[in-house]
Amino acid sequence: MKLLTHNMLTSHVKGVTKGYPLLIKATEVKVNEVEFNPQFVSRMIPKLEWSALVQAAEELGHRQDLPGELVADYETNEEFLKKVHRILLEVEVLEGCLQCPESGREFPISRGIPNMLLNEDEA
Amino acid sequence: GPLIFGAAQMIELLPSSSPSTEIGTTSGDIITVTIGATVPTGFEHTAAEEIKEKIGVDARISKDRGRVFFPITTDKLFQVHLLRSVDNLFVVVEEYHHYQFKESKEETLMELQQLASTLPWTNALEVWKQNGTLKKKKGHRRGGNTAKSKPNCEGVGGSMASTEQQELPQENSAPEGWAGDTQAMETSTQDSDETGHGSKLIKFRVTCNRAGDKHSFSSNEAARDFGGAVQEFFQWKADMTKFDIEVLLNIHNEEVVIGIALTEESLHRRNISHFGPTTLRSTLCYGMLRLCKPQASDIILDPMCGTGAIPLEGAIEFNHSFYVAGDNNDMAVNRTVNNICHIQKRRADKGSMSGLPIDTVQWDLCSLPIRTSSVDIIITDMPFGKRMGSRKKNWDLYPSCLREMARVCRPGSGKAVLLTQDKKCFSKAISRMGGLWRKQHTVWVNVGGLHAGVYLLKRTGSYWRCFNKCK
Repeated sequence: MKLLTHNMLTSHVKGVTKGYPLLIKATEVKVNEVEFNPQFVSRMIPKLEWSALVQAAEELGHRQDLPGELVADYETNEEFLKKVHRILLEVEVLEGCLQCPESGREFPISRGIPNMLLNEDEA
Repeated sequence: GPLIFGAAQMIELLPSSSPSTEIGTTSGDIITVTIGATVPTGFEHTAAEEIKEKIGVDARISKDRGRVFFPITTDKLFQVHLLRSVDNLFVVVEEYHHYQFKESKEETLMELQQLASTLPWTNALEVWKQNGTLKKKKGHRRGGNTAKSKPNCEGVGGSMASTEQQELPQENSAPEGWAGDTQAMETSTQDSDETGHGSKLIKFRVTCNRAGDKHSFSSNEAARDFGGAVQEFFQWKADMTKFDIEVLLNIHNEEVVIGIALTEESLHRRNISHFGPTTLRSTLCYGMLRLCKPQASDIILDPMCGTGAIPLEGAIEFNHSFYVAGDNNDMAVNRTVNNICHIQKRRADKGSMSGLPIDTVQWDLCSLPIRTSSVDIIITDMPFGKRMGSRKKNWDLYPSCLREMARVCRPGSGKAVLLTQDKKCFSKAISRMGGLWRKQHTVWVNVGGLHAGVYLLKRTGSYWRCFNKCK
C-alpha cells in the first residue's frame, strides 16, 4: 500500500464519523524505485490531505524533512517535489494494519493489500 | 526431388510479370506497404487515433468491422509493435474491394488458384522478413541485451501465455487453416536445409476467414485450393502448427484481402500471466482507457478489478495517472498483485525502473472505504450475469454500484467508463440517477462472443448528499 492510496482510504464502520485518517501500524515496509514525474506530483498535491500525508510518513519513520505545511511555489521546487514523490509512490507498506481512529477497528494489510471488508454487524 | 528455395532466393526468382512489384528489394531500400490490423470491434476509431498519434498516418477503417488499414514505410516498421489497441497485425499483399466471384464453385476455386501466382508478393515478403528480425531483437530477455530498453516496448511476446489461455472466438466463422495433406504436415522435419545462404526450408500455412452469404465455396475449400497454388508457386512446405509464414485470405462479401501475418499470436493477453475466469483482453482495456482520456495525476479506480487487467494496462500505457484496483474477492486481489509483480519483475530485468503507479485494495464496492469526491475516473468491467455470478442480482447491484461510484467521483470533472453486457439493467439504473450521472457516449463491443456496451459517463456538478444509506 502506497501512501497516496492511504491518503484516500477512510474507515466506513457503521456509526463512525471521524474515520479519517486511518492510523498505520506497519511491520514490513519497502521502498521501490518509481520514475519521477514532476507534473504528476505538483498536480497531485492539491488533491491530497496534506496533514494526513505527513502524519502517515511520520508513522512509517519516513518523514525525513517533509514540512507540516505546504511550501509556497512548490510547483517549481524540484527538490521538494522529489521528496513528495518518494513518500507518495515509493514507500510501501507490505505487512501491518490500518486502524480506525474512532472505533479502533483494525484492517489487516497483507502482501501490500489492505483488507477493508467489514463484517455484517459493522456495515 | 522438389526444388527447395530459401526466402532470399525466392524473392529474386519471382516472375517479373507481377503487377506492382518493385524489384529494388535489396534490404536497405525503403518501401511503403499497407498494414492491416485487427482490433476489438467497436474500437476501430480508437485504434485509428492511436495510429495517428504514434505512427503519424491516417488509418482507414474497413467495412468489415474490427479491421483498420494504414500505410507504413519499412524503416518505421518497429512502430507497429508499439500499438496497444491492435490484436493482430498483417502486411497486405493485395486488396480487392469488388471481387467478382465466378458463378460456379469450380470456376471460383480455379480462379483463386491462378491468383496465387500473379499476386505482388515481393514487398509483403520483404516486410515479413524484416519483421522477423525485429521480433528476434525483442525476444532477448535473459539479460543478454543490456542496451537501452524502450519502456514502451514491452508486452509483445509469447512469454506470458499461460496454459489457461483461451482464444476468444472470432466474430465471423472460425478461420479455416490449410497446410496440405495430413501426410505432409509432419512437424518433425529437420529445419536445416543448407543451400549456401544457410537459409532453411520455408514452412507455411494458409488461414481463410470468410463471411457473406453469396459465396459458392467454404473457407476450408478456399484455403485448400489457394494454399495448394501457393505451395506450388513458392515450393514452400506446408505445416499447420510450426509455420514460418502465415498467409491470410480474408473474404468478406466482395472484399478480398490477401495478407501475411506479422504477429504470431494475439496481443490480447500481453500483460496478464495470472488469468481469472473473465479476464478482459488488453486491447479492450486499452480502448476503454483511451476513451476516458486519462490526464496527468488523475486518480483512477477500478472497483471490480478481477485480475487487474484494466488498471494494469493503464499503469503501463497511461502512466501519468494513478490507479487503485479493488475487488472483494480474495483470489482476485491476489491475482492482481501477482500480475503487477510479474510486470514489475520484467521491467526490472530489462534494467528499467520497475515501480508502477498502481495499488490494490480488498473492498466491498457498495461501501467503498474511499473519501467522498476524491476520485477522477472510475473504469471497470461490470459483472455480466451470464459470465460471472454475483451475490446480488444485477438489478440490485447496479444501482448500489452507481450510487457509491457517484459518491467517490469528483463532481463536475469526474468520469466513468463502464463495460457491461446487461445493457437493459444498466440503462434503467442510470435513468434513475440523472442527478448524478449523464451518459456521454456509448461504444458497442464484442466480448467473448457477447454483445456489450462501453458507457462513457460524466459525473454531474451535484455534490453528494446521502439520501439513502447504501446497504
